[in-house]
Formats: sequence, C-alpha cells, structure tokens
Amino acid sequence: MTDVFIGLEIHIQLLTRSKVFCSCPSGFGEEPNLHVCPVCLGYPGVLPALNRRALEFAYLTGLALKCTMAKRIHFDRKNYFYPDMAKNYQISQFHAPVGVHGNMDFDAEDGRKTIRIHDIHLEEDAGKMIHGSGKSLLDYNRAGSSLLEIVTEPDFRSGREAELFLQEFRSLVRTVGVCDGNMEEGSLRCDANVSVNKPGKGLGTKVEIKNLNSSRFVRKALEYEIRRQSRLLRTGRAIIQETRLWDEKRTRTEPMRSKEEALDYRYFPEPDLPPFCPDEQFITKVADMLTELPISRYDRYRETWELNEETARYLAEDVSRAEFFEQSVEQGADAKLAASWIKGELTKLQAKGEFSFSRRTVDPQGFSSLLRLTDAGEITAQQAKEVLQVMAETGGDPQTIIKERVITGGLDEQQLRDLASAVISQYPDTSAQIQGGNMKALGFLMGSIMKETGGAADPKASRRILLELLGIDLTK
Amino acid sequence: MTGIRELSQWRSLTRDGDSRARYQRMLQRADRDIASMLEIDVEKGFSSVLGQNSPHLQGIPFSVKDNIALSGFSFTCGSKILEPLVSPYHAGAVQKLLSAGAVPVGKANMDEFGMGSSTENSAFTVTRNPWDLDRVPGGSSGGSAASVAAGLVPFSLGSDTGGSVRQPAAFCGIYGCKPTYGRVSRYGLAAYASSLETIGILSADISMMEQVFHCISGTDERDQTTWEAVPAYQDEQGSPTAAVISDLEGMDPEIRRGYERTLEAMKSLGWKITEVSLKSLKYAMPAFYTIACAEASSNLARYTGIRYGMRHSTSAAQEEMVRMTREEGFSAEVKLRVLLGTYVLRSGFQDQYYLKAQKIRTRMKQEFDMMFSQADVLLMPVYPVQAFKAGDEGMTPMQQKVADRYTLPANLAGLPAVSFPAGIESGLPVGMQLLGPSCSEERLFSLIRKLSEVIPPPELPVRLGAEEEADD
Repeated sequence: MTDVFIGLEIHIQLLTRSKVFCSCPSGFGEEPNLHVCPVCLGYPGVLPALNRRALEFAYLTGLALKCTMAKRIHFDRKNYFYPDMAKNYQISQFHAPVGVHGNMDFDAEDGRKTIRIHDIHLEEDAGKMIHGSGKSLLDYNRAGSSLLEIVTEPDFRSGREAELFLQEFRSLVRTVGVCDGNMEEGSLRCDANVSVNKPGKGLGTKVEIKNLNSSRFVRKALEYEIRRQSRLLRTGRAIIQETRLWDEKRTRTEPMRSKEEALDYRYFPEPDLPPFCPDEQFITKVADMLTELPISRYDRYRETWELNEETARYLAEDVSRAEFFEQSVEQGADAKLAASWIKGELTKLQAKGEFSFSRRTVDPQGFSSLLRLTDAGEITAQQAKEVLQVMAETGGDPQTIIKERVITGGLDEQQLRDLASAVISQYPDTSAQIQGGNMKALGFLMGSIMKETGGAADPKASRRILLELLGIDLTK
Repeated sequence: MTGIRELSQWRSLTRDGDSRARYQRMLQRADRDIASMLEIDVEKGFSSVLGQNSPHLQGIPFSVKDNIALSGFSFTCGSKILEPLVSPYHAGAVQKLLSAGAVPVGKANMDEFGMGSSTENSAFTVTRNPWDLDRVPGGSSGGSAASVAAGLVPFSLGSDTGGSVRQPAAFCGIYGCKPTYGRVSRYGLAAYASSLETIGILSADISMMEQVFHCISGTDERDQTTWEAVPAYQDEQGSPTAAVISDLEGMDPEIRRGYERTLEAMKSLGWKITEVSLKSLKYAMPAFYTIACAEASSNLARYTGIRYGMRHSTSAAQEEMVRMTREEGFSAEVKLRVLLGTYVLRSGFQDQYYLKAQKIRTRMKQEFDMMFSQADVLLMPVYPVQAFKAGDEGMTPMQQKVADRYTLPANLAGLPAVSFPAGIESGLPVGMQLLGPSCSEERLFSLIRKLSEVIPPPELPVRLGAEEEADD
C-alpha cells in the first residue's frame, strides 16, 4: 500500500484578441511567423506593454477559483535560453502573482472533492520549434500570447481524479470565457507532478511529467507513473527527482532531465513593467464578468428539477447549452422534457452543424412552445422532430410551420394510404366490424399503423385515411 | 543662439537636396579624424522626417547614439554581434523628434552596449576627443558628445545608464541632460540596465537642450514606466539653495578648481550654499554594478544570432551556434558584466548581492528625499578627472568604474541631473552637474542658464568645414 500525491500545473491561453505585451493578434493555425513584431521577436530596444484584457481575465480566473486576490502584483523575469523564447527570458510572476490560496470543487468517483490552488500567475507564451530532417524551424506566432498558469496543491490521489478535475476545469474556464479549453490545439496544457510514499509518511520524491496533450493522457501517464514508483518503493529502490516525458505510443514515461540538470531561472523583478494595483473600478468590472460556475449549475439542476446526474452535468458543462435550457424552462417548457430534447435532438442538430447553442436559429421561446404542443399530444414526437429541423433551417416558429407545411410524421399521404390498405387487407374481420358500426375496433387498426411506423404516423391523418378506405363517412 | 551657429544656419544645411548633399560631404570630412559617427546619411535622415510640429526643431539636424532605434539606419549598439542589423522601427523619442521636423543625419559611435567611459570599447572604431585627438571623448555616448563638440550637429540623443551622457558631455565641454527616470520613453533604447538608464540629450546650447527635452518627454504607451510628470518647478524667481557634499574626495586639481569656480559663481548670484553628507555615496559603485550587471545578463540574452544580427558561420547545432556567436560577438568587457550579473542572480545568493544592492539603492533614494527637502539642487563634479588619454596611457576599466561615483547616484535614485561646462583648465573642459528632485529638469535648465552668464560656455573646437560653407 502506498499514499499517492498528485499536483497539476495547468497553462491556459487567454482569449485576448492581442498578445500579452504587444498588439500582434493572438491566434491559432496561421501561416508561420505572420503575427510577429519587433516586441514579440525580442528586437533590441523593445519594451513590453501589458494587455489590460489579459489582466482582467487573470483576475477573473482567480475569482472563479476563489483565490485571495493580490492588491499589488508585479512581474518577474525567468531566465533561460531556448530558441523559441525570443528574449531568452520569460516575463512571468514569481514573487507577487495575481492570486494565491484558492480552491476548486469537482466530482470525483467517490463524491465531491475540493482541490486547493497554490497560485495563479500571468505570463507570456513561447513560440514553437519544429524539428525535422536535420533542421529546426521556428514559428513565433504564439510567442508572447497571454498565458495563465494555475498551480494546484498535491491534492489528487489518482490519475482518474486528475482527469475528472481537468474536465471540470476546462468546463469552468470555458464558462467564465477566459479560454477555449482546447487541449489538442494547446490552448489548455497540463503538466503533472506525482510522488508516492509509504502510508502516513507524507510526500515522497517528486517526479514531474510533461507532454500531456489530453486529460486522458494525464490519467494514463499518472497511472503508469504511480505503478512505476510504487514498484521502486516496494523493492526498496530509490525514486529519483526528475522530469519525465509521456510517450503515448509506448504508453510509458521516459526520463527528460534530473534534478542536477535543473535550471536556475535567476528570477528578478521585471524592470520594464510597473507594479499593478487593481482599483475599485477594476475589481467591480471583473466581478461583473463572473458568471455562475458549472458545478453550481449542476447542483441547482439536480435540486430544482431533479435531473439525473448525467443530464445535469451535460447541460451544466457548457454555458450556452445551460442558458438555452434555463431560458426554455422560463418560457414554460417542462424541465425534464426540455433537458431530454436538448440532450437528444438539439445536440444531434448541432453535431450536423445545423444548429448552435451560442448562435441560435431556434430560440428558447419557439423551442418551448414546440415542446408544449408535443406534450399536449397535438403533434407526435416524430412530427416535432421534423418541425424542429425546419425551425433550425428557417428560424420560424412552430405554429406557423405546422400550419404552412405538411407535417406527415415522416410519411407522405401515399405511403400512409398504402400502409392503411395493407392493414385493412391484413385484418379483414376487424375491418368488417368497423364497417358494421363498431368504431372501437378502429383503434386496433390505428394501433397497427402506429406499430408499423414506430409511432411516426400522424394519428389524425391515419384515422382519416382508414375511414375513407373503409368507405365510412362520419359526417353523415 | 546654438553656441555655434544660428538656428537658421543649421536649418539651411538640410533645406534642399543640394544643401543636404553638401552637408553630407562636410560631415564626412569633418568626422574623418574624430570618428564620432558609425553611419552618416543626411538624405536618408531627411526622408525619415514625419512632420513639422515644432517651429524650433523643424529642419534642425541631430545625431543618434547607435543604441537608439532609428528606422532604416544601423542599430549596432557598438557591438559586433549586431553589426548587420538595420533598425526596423523608430524609438519613441526619435519618433517625437521626427514629428517635430528635426532631421537625423547619422548614428553615433559608443562603447559596446553602453559599457564603458571612453568610447574605446566600440567594436568598430575609436572616437577621438575634438579638443585633443590623443584623448578620449568620454563614454559611453562619446560619439554623440564628439559630434556636438566638433560642431557637426547642434544636439544628439544619447543614453545615460551610469553617467554615459554627462561624462562625455563634460569631457567635450558641452551640456548633458539625464532626465528623471520615466519622463522620456525608453522604447527603442537597446537595454543595458533597464531600471537605471534613460535616453538623454547632449547639446552645446542650453536652450536647444530645453527644446529637445520638451519635445521628447512625456508618456509613451509602449513604455509603461513613463508617466505624465507635473514639472516640479518653473522659472525660479527667488534665491535657490544649493547643497554641496562636505567630504567630497578624489578630485583632480583641475576638477577641484572648476568646482570652486562654480561655487563662487553661485555665491555671486546670491544662492544659498548648504553642506550635506551623502552616506550612501561610497556604496554607489558596488550597488550600481551589481544591479547593472544583473539586468545586463538578462537584457543581452536575446543576442544569439538566431533571429537577427551576426551569426557564427559554424554548422554546429543551435546550442553550440549560439555559444560561438556570443563568444565571437561580445567583447571581454561585455562578457565580464554578463558573467558578473549571472553570478549575482543565482538562487541562494541573491540576498548577498542583488537584494543588498537594492537596499543601498532604497537608502540612497531616502537620503536624496531628505536632502531635497532642505535644498533645491545638489552640485557635484561629473567625473574626478578631465578627458584622459586614449589607449594604455588612459584609465583601466576598473579605475573608470570607480570614477563613476559622482554620476551613479542620479541613476540609482532615478533623479534628473544636468552637466554643464565650468571653464577650461589645462586646455581642456571641466564639467560640473546639478542634480535635483524628481521632475525638476526645468529648474535645472533655468539655474544652469543663470550660471552660464557668470561662467560662459567655452568656444568649441568646431570642425565642420568652413571652406565648403564659403560656397553658399
């Protein structure tokens, strides 16, 4: 048995339009070295000019992570040589970061857990170095983009916990609107440190793991590393303090550098940027930017509408989806019905690119009146799906669409006729009974049509056609 | 008056294509012996002008120290490592002068990255003092000072990290202004020691210096350490109080005589003199070099040959290429300071060096605050000796550093200081300086103008050809 201690260092690229110290646009996937200027290329004589928006986003994240916010921050230089870092020092925060002593809740497999946040600090991103065929190429488009680093305390006990936390964290930064949370594109990056020790002995020797490009890799790498270190511990061998890289192909970690090779960053205060002391106006502005966090929405959905865990989490994790849901309920939709339709049909439409919760063609008002029509049995579920499709395409309201279009429930008049004829010939006795005046027997034929179509047939149309084919005119 | 020429005469040098071509020839000829400039191009400079906002500065030529960005011109900082670099942008201060209509005519030589006091430590050429070609013009803005003293230009932009504007100005018999930290944008000044240095002005004429200061000072959004200063003082009516340091040591007799002469002039103008002590003064040198080297080690890390500048011709991998480029591109003095700076910043040793130096700096600021609650200005010599001989007969780098003790305090405390000529001794100029509280430049200019009525500035060894001008 061992105790496991895991801490995460998460980097998020802030969604600022320009870079953190110059006016170059920050973006992903552009032609290499397109978004560069003397400042982010580190030409002689240039100075950093701090992006106000990046500061707001940093404080906003700190607020969402319940940090003690700094009354006065300054920047420090972290000195080390690397070709993708134009100045060979990174402007970061060491002595007076934006926030300290925060915490964040998430749901682990065995229930709710609180992770302590050590600190969050604002810094600049490096460029990218691409190696290949005896050459190394440099792309400085990303150099100087605003980056926020969030450092947790070693509060996780398993790789799965770290993975679940990261998923909740990604949802949080997306909801707050500071980061797009895309791990594949590198706008959310994570390093992990892990130590194992004999029970009750406290922290062991720390090993840092890098190159974790998804929350799944984080879990796998940690699980591998815990096994590796536990084995060393069990067999009485030493665990070396080092940095290791996750190799996804071989599904194992490899040594990168040991403690002896660790760099001395020679931190000292950045003389080119004055300290920043947020005033009341700044603090108010940032506080106004803060929206309800996903985990709090989740709790509310569970409590107020008794949604199941999966549905509540699905709705709460995406802010535009959550808002669509809540607004539909405000418009009078039944919460459970709305939730199930959002999770089902609207998500399908979104996957097909025909609808988006953030740029809506279907608004919550139209959506909720459609649900009411379905609930009242005026249209079938299948018809409602069709109407929803039309709403997504045209942006119209359901009443008008029903009035103006033939909504057959997926079957046109002729198909329905053929089906009715078939049912009549299949059950000649029942048909004769109906013709004899036993209208209750009509229910059986109707049921057969419904069974054949999986409930898609419009009941009114089916009834009309059956009666017509049986030669019964009820108006007489 | 500019001290040398009337404004209209300076202006006529840049007026039309023919004048500029003639001025170009005159500059090249006049600079042959003193080598104050690394690049001279009047026409290119004229085409860089961005406006004519100032009736005073419009059409007026100037030179720019080669560590200040002037787009399209060389940007070597006096270093081999930047030899092929052409600036892609204008410094903030340069941009303001170009908008005013002033005409840059070239880049001035300097000690590599501002590290030196003689302009001998340039990778390209040794600049001579126009007063005596065997002597140095001072440094690191020696090219700027020589170009002004030789009458090539009426003013020059330099930079002052620890006296690099004032000391060469004193050696060359002209005025040198080191502004309050944050009053002039540093954007475009290649950094040596960011927290200590400012762009400064060298001129033979105090009024011109005032005009230039007025033009280049003020906020720049690209330098967030600038601030909109409220000038501490306007033109002085009453009698000011000048502080002098009671136990000032180590001055050469010539400097001592200039100092005494200035004191007499002050008294004759009715100024009150008060003796003060500045206890932190003796720690200025070690504190300064600790901080300056620390910052330099980080500021110079960007010069690797990867993105611009010189690159060693090796075919080795990048790490080795960077090492060889820096080995070849930097001089021994630069390497010494980078190594010292790296040493004092090591983790675990910062308390011993870097933080201790910062404490001395804080202490010095407090002492100045105290002093300027009782006095309006402080008089000090600029340098303990006059312009020294070039080469082996001159001062060693260590002697030069020790001799920086009078100029360093203004940089450590971020205060303004203006140096001025205080007579000729043994055929060479003597320089004094007035320091004042934050943002008191206007007062310093005004008081120095009054002193110049008692001690007139010297006649300069003008070299800009007379025979060519006769063509006019």
